[in-house]
Amino acid sequence: MGYVAVTASEDVIERAEDLFEKQRVDGEETQISVSQTDEQFGRIVGQTMSEGGLFAPRLAALAVKQAQGDTAEAGFLLRAYRSTLERWDESVPADPSEMCASRRVSPAYKDVPGGQILGATKDYTQRLLDFDLLADDGADPTESWDLDPEDPEQLRNVVSVLREEGLLHDPEDDRGDSPEEPVDTTREPVTMPAERSAVLQELARGETGAVTALGYSSLRGYGQVHPTLGEVRTGDLPVQIEHPYTGEAATVAHAEVTECEAVVPVFAKRDDPQFAFGYGLCFGRNERKAIGMSILDAGIQLDGEEPAESAEFVLDVVDGIDSFGFIEHLKLPHYVTFQSTLDRIRSIRQRKMNSGTADAADSEIAEASADD
Amino acid sequence: MTENRAVTTLESDSIDDAVAELGDDGLSGYNFAYLDEHTKREVRRAILKGIAIPGHQVPYASRPMPLARGWGTGGIQASLSLLGPDDSFKVIDQGADESVNAANIRRLADRTAGVETTSDTTDADVIQTRHRIPEEVMTDDQILVLQVPVTDPLRKVDGSDAANRRRHAHKNYGRMWVHLYENVVEWGEIKIASRYPTMVAGRYLMDPSPIPRWDVPKLDDADTLFLFAAGREARIYAVPPHTEVEPLAFEDESFQVERFPDQSCDACGSTDTFLTEVETDDGRRLYSCNDTSFCAKRQDDPAIPKDHHLDASGVDWGPGTPNEGSETPDSEDGVAGEPAAESGGDER
Repeated sequence: MGYVAVTASEDVIERAEDLFEKQRVDGEETQISVSQTDEQFGRIVGQTMSEGGLFAPRLAALAVKQAQGDTAEAGFLLRAYRSTLERWDESVPADPSEMCASRRVSPAYKDVPGGQILGATKDYTQRLLDFDLLADDGADPTESWDLDPEDPEQLRNVVSVLREEGLLHDPEDDRGDSPEEPVDTTREPVTMPAERSAVLQELARGETGAVTALGYSSLRGYGQVHPTLGEVRTGDLPVQIEHPYTGEAATVAHAEVTECEAVVPVFAKRDDPQFAFGYGLCFGRNERKAIGMSILDAGIQLDGEEPAESAEFVLDVVDGIDSFGFIEHLKLPHYVTFQSTLDRIRSIRQRKMNSGTADAADSEIAEASADD
Repeated sequence: MTENRAVTTLESDSIDDAVAELGDDGLSGYNFAYLDEHTKREVRRAILKGIAIPGHQVPYASRPMPLARGWGTGGIQASLSLLGPDDSFKVIDQGADESVNAANIRRLADRTAGVETTSDTTDADVIQTRHRIPEEVMTDDQILVLQVPVTDPLRKVDGSDAANRRRHAHKNYGRMWVHLYENVVEWGEIKIASRYPTMVAGRYLMDPSPIPRWDVPKLDDADTLFLFAAGREARIYAVPPHTEVEPLAFEDESFQVERFPDQSCDACGSTDTFLTEVETDDGRRLYSCNDTSFCAKRQDDPAIPKDHHLDASGVDWGPGTPNEGSETPDSEDGVAGEPAAESGGDER
């Protein structure tokens, strides 16, 4: 029995785990701490929280450290942990206009109420490697700035201007008699046709690269959605729960989120031409995911023929934990199914060879092999 | 490890302190069998519904597990929902208890539920398996949990589950029949290797998971409960004991299992078990039993039948392999038009 493809005892698995861990600690340098990861790799931590579906920066930083920077693996660790947690309460629905925005741009208008706030972004930087960082750690370049220490403002929502004018189609109008409460796809299985709340939740937990790629497919011509962004903003959104005694909303935490609102002109399929509305929201600073999500939300509402406009297709492929797991499961032994396939291929080849002879010779073999 | 997680009141001022305080009990502790009791109850309800409607795919809210999706997360959710502290659990992956993934799943059950694990098919209360049904006949005291990668047999002919759900509702399996017919026209026979489309209780077409065709007849009129659980696709379905299970075939194009006309197991000499081939370093091709735990028993006692542990004899299941050594590769003698359970050929 020495030839079974993959056999191993539990010791072997543990050793493989140990070797993986060795790769993290093997270098000459001091190990990076969870706090350092949290503070200095905020984008990866944010992406991990977003794909893991749990806002917990320290746990996400721990997951990133443990996964050696693999965001898919880190998001997976976070999700598996999340699934063991009791759900104590539900938050009061958050109003994004209450967000303390540190960055907000509105491509739709030259100027908007509250103004354009560029905030922290690399968008307009020249992508040149900064070799100075090799030598030293760099200092805070804003140290000498003379800043008002006032809180970031709460900004008026840009598309509300369009909404007031009646130019924006409200997706809620399409709900029909579906229930008021949003679906929680971590507690209820998604079946088609899916509620929009389920679509949004799945997109918000989607893999960043998949959301970006599917959104891009629509822009690239495999779809009709080429939106104008009402605004993209990042900032801290207050999380409120109802006080158990007073019943009043009490702010218990802030979650850093990126939000995007997109409008898409739609003339067909509507008696009254309106903008369709696409919404994107995800944990952390991740503008490409929020924008991609808004394109997919708008596209799915169109319910067209293109991949990015089919809720079923998008939801089936957008989840990183699902796709990464199934892609990588191909590494598992498959020798049973492979043996079964070998049997089919050999049988059909044999039949073809026999009938090839038969065709040429028109012999009785033809009758024999055709006798099935 | 097995006590329920208690509600803890925190006295700390900061979250860091609170996390540090929790470190000793809350964060490192998990519920018995990993899943919380609500989840286990939900999974059991899906299982019961599946049993009530044999072959029908029941959606459930599959939880993220500490195993990668596609690596048995559905199976382990079903197993952990069923296992009690006194149960004995066996895990096989592609026929082998020693496979790394089987070892990992067993380790999870051992760690979180503390159940006894075994590699002996006849000793296990619950057996979780990836893509095989054991060679030894299973009894009505046992449950076989099969891991499922693709839940719908119609996925072969249409990628849309929404459309396929409508087909199941209407028992509209025309596209699958056309697919099989086109196979016969184009290739002379049906080319589906594993995941063979199978009709359950004359009502629902079912994907029996990627078990080889060899194992499909074992599903028919068995004593055992078969559960099929998919984590990534969040569906559970079942074949209850003594349910009629019939692989799709035509009157003039019968269902065929894998053929091992001249082969026997290199280790135990069996000719009535599913074999897999291996290429050796010196260029030879050997065949060996895929069910490693039964092969080990056969190595001790080559004459031991598949129903050796039962009171009755002759209740063999699965196809017997023609062992006359005279068949040509395209012979029809590998055909199992009827499950061998009825033929009772245990001497083979």
